[in-house]
Amino acid sequence: MKLVYQDLIKFLSTKPSKDLLSKKLFQLGHEHEINGEIFDMELTPNRGDCLSLAGLARDLKVFFGSTDTLNLYEDNIEPLDINFVNFSPKDCPKISFLEIEIGEASTKYKSYLESYFHNIGGNKTNLFTDISNYISYELGQPTHCYDRNTIHGDIIFEKKDCNNTFKTLLGSEVALKGNNCIFAVNDEIVSLAGIMGGASTACSLNTKKVLIECAYFNPESIIGKSIKYNLASDAAHKFERGVDIESQEKVLRRFAKVVSDHAEIKTIKIKTFSSIDHHSLYISENVNKVNKILGTTISRNEYLNYLGELGFEISNKIKIPSHRHDIKNDNDLAEEVARIIGYDNIISTPIKIKKITSHETKNANHYIGKIETLLTKHGFSEIINSPFTSKVSKASIKIDNPLDSSRNNFRTSLRESLINNLLYNERRQKDSIKLFEISDIYTKDTEVFQQKKLGIIVSGRLGHNYKDFSKKLDYDYLNNLLNGSLDKHVFEITEIPRNELNTKKKDKIFYVEISIDDIPSNFYSDINLNEKNINFIDYKPISDYPSSTRDFSFSIDDLSQVEKIINILDEVSDDIIKNSYIFDFYKNEKTKTVKLGYRFIFQSHVKTLSDVEINDKVQNILGPILQMEGVSIPGM
Amino acid sequence: MSNIDNIKLPAIKEDFGTLHPINQTKDYLLNLLSEIGFAEVHGPEIETEEFNFDMLNIKKSHPARQMHDTFYTEGKTNVLRTHTSPVQIRSMLETKPPLAFTSAGKVYRKDDDATHLPMFHQIEGIYVDEHVTFANLKDLIHKILHNLFGTDIGIRFRPSYFPFTEPSAEVDILSNNGKWLEILGCGVINPVVLENCNIDSNKYSGLAFGLGIERIAMLKFGVNDIRDFYKSNLDFLAQFK
Repeated sequence: MKLVYQDLIKFLSTKPSKDLLSKKLFQLGHEHEINGEIFDMELTPNRGDCLSLAGLARDLKVFFGSTDTLNLYEDNIEPLDINFVNFSPKDCPKISFLEIEIGEASTKYKSYLESYFHNIGGNKTNLFTDISNYISYELGQPTHCYDRNTIHGDIIFEKKDCNNTFKTLLGSEVALKGNNCIFAVNDEIVSLAGIMGGASTACSLNTKKVLIECAYFNPESIIGKSIKYNLASDAAHKFERGVDIESQEKVLRRFAKVVSDHAEIKTIKIKTFSSIDHHSLYISENVNKVNKILGTTISRNEYLNYLGELGFEISNKIKIPSHRHDIKNDNDLAEEVARIIGYDNIISTPIKIKKITSHETKNANHYIGKIETLLTKHGFSEIINSPFTSKVSKASIKIDNPLDSSRNNFRTSLRESLINNLLYNERRQKDSIKLFEISDIYTKDTEVFQQKKLGIIVSGRLGHNYKDFSKKLDYDYLNNLLNGSLDKHVFEITEIPRNELNTKKKDKIFYVEISIDDIPSNFYSDINLNEKNINFIDYKPISDYPSSTRDFSFSIDDLSQVEKIINILDEVSDDIIKNSYIFDFYKNEKTKTVKLGYRFIFQSHVKTLSDVEINDKVQNILGPILQMEGVSIPGM
Repeated sequence: MSNIDNIKLPAIKEDFGTLHPINQTKDYLLNLLSEIGFAEVHGPEIETEEFNFDMLNIKKSHPARQMHDTFYTEGKTNVLRTHTSPVQIRSMLETKPPLAFTSAGKVYRKDDDATHLPMFHQIEGIYVDEHVTFANLKDLIHKILHNLFGTDIGIRFRPSYFPFTEPSAEVDILSNNGKWLEILGCGVINPVVLENCNIDSNKYSGLAFGLGIERIAMLKFGVNDIRDFYKSNLDFLAQFK
């Protein structure tokens, strides 16, 4: 909800600065952003009473006082003779109709109305609809205007099972289905109650006689319709949150006053239909309870003063105002008091919790911790994947309302996710991939079945060092790692054929998936659980650009230079050098030379590197080394 | 000239893998809460509407129910939990006060844009005993935030609305650029929720709080895009060793 700062402070007797106003709004729980003179409010759904200038000002009164700024139509209003039948009083317990006939209207709006449209109100349509929008902004009560001359029969209100098309006053057509609260005349639906009026009875620039509907709808009767029919409206927003059932006459008199500011009123008539006696809610006064909830020591007088400032009437009990649908018990009243004191001003009291240990959880965490220790020690990285997939099986759980068709089931295995993770990294020049995921998997038979599973996938080089570089991650590797300490083969290792996947890579892919419950306890015996010291490192953004490798095979005759050369290479550092390592190291006993294979991986954060740029860098690195005695790169 | 036999093989650096930064953050928070006295509990990701909404005082027609855009499964028989609160409800039904539980895990909301994901992680806690107050809640939140962000961090409590707590609060921290950043929600447990769990609300009161783990991880590690956590990029993950 947007409001203009100057419009709001007109309702306050002391005029706070924008900063002070903002501070107090946050203190009261009304989130907002400020753009120039506009406060863009994000009110919580329980505070429908603040969805207007007057409503918000009422909440701010405790800090800034209030002014009786609203001019109302003070003259006597004749009773309206109108045929209205309410078949669903539970959905609409009170409704008022105001009929006004005007003479010629001014073509120019008064400054207060003009500035509303200029600042936030959007496009003008016609006098009565425009005033209706303005009244909603000012007082928070939606009203609907019918062109009186289009209504030629009894108006009925009912909740009915609908199966017809309704043309809204915006021109859109809506297929009404199921139960809806509607207004109808001669069997024609003229308004979707609380949401939007119909085209056939809408006001226009030519309308001189208007019938203004001002209703209280039970929020539960309105909630969901706006979304169902994709008809967002200010009225729906307010009715869903509840309006003030006792404000109808005031609202309509204000409406009439604004009309009279713009046109001569020829006739004006009013009728209210109240189907049930509205009963106010009363709560017994209990400051001790409020202090117990908050942990404060407020006196009874302070308590009653706070509530009085917020519009609560105090006699034998506390009368909850008709605009406050959110107050039901002492906890709600405690929050009211806390808002005025300021949450930040409530002094905290130390909390002492007796420790309760849950043994079952400790064991489960212990085993998972050991699996994590084992795998990370061996270079595996943990993945967390979304469980949504398009893959369907008999056991898969279907999502009724997925984000899209590629995510309309819950996965029944970790396999597809981990394969995608592997391929993603292969496309980013990763040549040694070891991944794992531990997640709950849900499947269905007659009921939902939950299993915590471990998935492991490997492919590519065994490692980035001269011992492992030429070896591959294979069946034996995984078998030794997982089944090596067990007396029987527990972890089933399968090869995932490359021809099933959209990839040109040739390295074999091996996969394991097992339920955590199926891992025998002796698997964990030799694993020492790592103490989890979590360091919150400073993350540095990674590059989205491809990397390139350059390999160099040095032949070193002067053995005294070996260590020096390695140190020089290890210490090379540059913005575009991502990583480097020895991929080959061979001592040739016969020739008394050392063969040193060194790999550099180049990557830029800002672009794809060209061969020229990489070669330039390579020249800089190799230059000093190749000038050393007894060092060469055969073939270079 | 050195003898070839004297040439030492170069040292091989250990190439450790990494736990996922979200799980690292989750473990950190669970550990912190365990030291304060909370016991960890677990619950299912696929939940009933009753436990995800009704037991938490979120009525079918209430606008708050629409605040949660919810995934339904198998002809609306179940939902993907939108918060870890159902786990707390299950724990409260099984345990008599005093009780202090924390639960962390995946939650699901029908949201998918630059700053929201359909699956993310939450951690929540509840503490129920006699004489638990809003002032106690403030103390607990201060403890948690001081541990995470240092004792000098600016903290702002402001009223909010959750159907399951009353009074309710959202808590902001003051970031380096002078802006308040919402960090968690909390409140005194609504007596209706206690009664739903067969706990006498005249005798007992409770506090509850919840944080988004991705939000904390992003702030603590300095990751700016939430989607980076779920791309499985090994260059990204390698930073969190």
